[in-house]
Amino acid sequence: MGKLKLGIPRALLYYFYYPFWEKLFSELDIELIVSNYTSREQLDKGIKYSISEICVPIKVYIGHVLDLINQGVDYVYIPRIISIKKNIFLCPKFLGLPDMIKNSIPEIENKILTHQITAKDDSLAGFKNYLGMADKLNISKWKLFWALQKANSHWQEHRKTQLQVNIDKKVLTIALIGYVYNIYDRFINMDLLRHLREMGINIVTFEMVDSQIIEQEVKLFPKPMFWEFTNKLLGAGYHFLKSPDIDGIIYVSAFGCGPDSILGSFLEIDANQANKPFMTLRIDEQTGESHLLTRIEAFVDLLKLKKS
Amino acid sequence: MGNIYLGVDIGSVSINIVAIDEENRILFKLYTRNSGQPVELVKDGIQQLRIKLNNKIKIDGVGVTGSGRQLVGYILGADIVKNEITAHAMATTYFYPETGTIFEIGGQDSKLIIVKDGIATDFAMNTVCAAGTGSFLDHQAERLGIPIEEFGDLALQAKRDVRIAGRCTVFAESDMISKQQYGFTKSEIIKGLCRALVRNYMNNLVRNRNLQGKYIFQGGVAANLGIKAAFAEEVGEKIIIPEHYNVMGAIGIAQLAKAEIKKTGKNTSFKGFNITKDSFETTSFNCEGCANSCEVIKVQANGQTIAMTGDRCGKWSDQINHKKREQQETGS
Repeated sequence: MGKLKLGIPRALLYYFYYPFWEKLFSELDIELIVSNYTSREQLDKGIKYSISEICVPIKVYIGHVLDLINQGVDYVYIPRIISIKKNIFLCPKFLGLPDMIKNSIPEIENKILTHQITAKDDSLAGFKNYLGMADKLNISKWKLFWALQKANSHWQEHRKTQLQVNIDKKVLTIALIGYVYNIYDRFINMDLLRHLREMGINIVTFEMVDSQIIEQEVKLFPKPMFWEFTNKLLGAGYHFLKSPDIDGIIYVSAFGCGPDSILGSFLEIDANQANKPFMTLRIDEQTGESHLLTRIEAFVDLLKLKKS
Repeated sequence: MGNIYLGVDIGSVSINIVAIDEENRILFKLYTRNSGQPVELVKDGIQQLRIKLNNKIKIDGVGVTGSGRQLVGYILGADIVKNEITAHAMATTYFYPETGTIFEIGGQDSKLIIVKDGIATDFAMNTVCAAGTGSFLDHQAERLGIPIEEFGDLALQAKRDVRIAGRCTVFAESDMISKQQYGFTKSEIIKGLCRALVRNYMNNLVRNRNLQGKYIFQGGVAANLGIKAAFAEEVGEKIIIPEHYNVMGAIGIAQLAKAEIKKTGKNTSFKGFNITKDSFETTSFNCEGCANSCEVIKVQANGQTIAMTGDRCGKWSDQINHKKREQQETGS
């Protein structure tokens, strides 16, 4: 029997946890297949299979799952990540992700590899979360246990490298506040990062902020947000508001995102008070680049005037 | 004759061309409706400029702005191609150094620009909805059978106030119909619409911002006295409409072109008045290089490809840019 082929959708938390998954499954001798980069065709398929009210990141995810089925994988890995910190949860769409996929894509049948993850410290490595998986994949618990340890230390190293940021004060620095799947999906945000880099902009994101700083900022609120990554963005956002190295903040939000409706309002009001230039970019299914370019170009012009 | 700088604003509804001199005086000004043939309209406008100035001119710099700026920028050989927010802010702060707030409403966008000490410090643009823009008014004027030019004046004749829902064109329309059925007059309905549009603008763009005077209102919709009155009522202060309210973007980009030429010390890359004789052709095709199947737009001048755009990866547009760089380097 050849190696088991496991598909990972290049969407949602792929952009945060992929180094972990890559190490974990290669330690388990499983062949990983990551879906192709988001494209027009993939998004169109995702839209077709989705319920219409859902946010665009989920539509993208569905497109990626379809792509993997098409590539003939044995399973698509869709964990149900419930919580990575005590009493704080992920957005309900993550909690119901495997069910939603089962409902949206009947063709997937029993090709979903799923399990529940509840953790206390961002790490997905807690052994208890994976108990059923050893049987399903026909591997020993010991092997699984050690693979998790290795994957965890690999991922922790990766996170440390993300924290090493040098800010060149001679050029403009913009903080991008947005979920990883909106910031790093080049198709869905119309290559925002490339456009900013071409304008010579230094970019910082929440992953570059020490999690202790983020937590301190969140503690200043009478109560935290209900959702994990919203909290991370909130904490990082307030840190950036206070940081003199940050010339401006661009907040990238998917149309119809519930958590963002609260986060965005907080940041917008306090950016105003902190006198920090702030702009919201809303992303959805549209693909015309000119509106995006007009906005970021005008924003950058404004920051340049302010800095000079 | 002194130096002359050309500013071109390619908007969704209008195409505007101005020529300014070294002292920012307006030598020529043209506002035309965009009938969907921007290249022809620009050629025509440049021809008019030449006639107006008796052929005796040399252009020293060209700037292009507006949503169609890329394409026309290639065709004219623009020295600067910039977004319309920066262009508008430039012109307005020149004419009114004490500007605090700029309301700009055009065909398909509305913008808010906040200015402090003559420098733009913040802006907002309508996001997903066209309810607060010129197209909305155009549409409703048509429905009521009133020419758009008379629309605003009629609003001032209203005797009573009636509230029209402004959230969305579809709701506004059904609200208008029912209010007409209750017996409100056309002018009252129009006044209600103007106030709805301004309310929508305040909700979507101004939001929690603290506005400061002077208040400048520009863009094509500034011709509408009903909207001006509704803005004045909303902010409780006088609203200033600049003399050149409908071509401020073009003036701003002409000024930016002048600044660019001064800064770089280069000669203009303007292709010259002969472009009015050139034939331009725009075609598009779907690139099948990957699953994105981008619609690539190709612009040809006299059979030679001068620009390609619309590809996400740069497969086509980079070829052209590369060729241009090579030509510049070899000096040909």
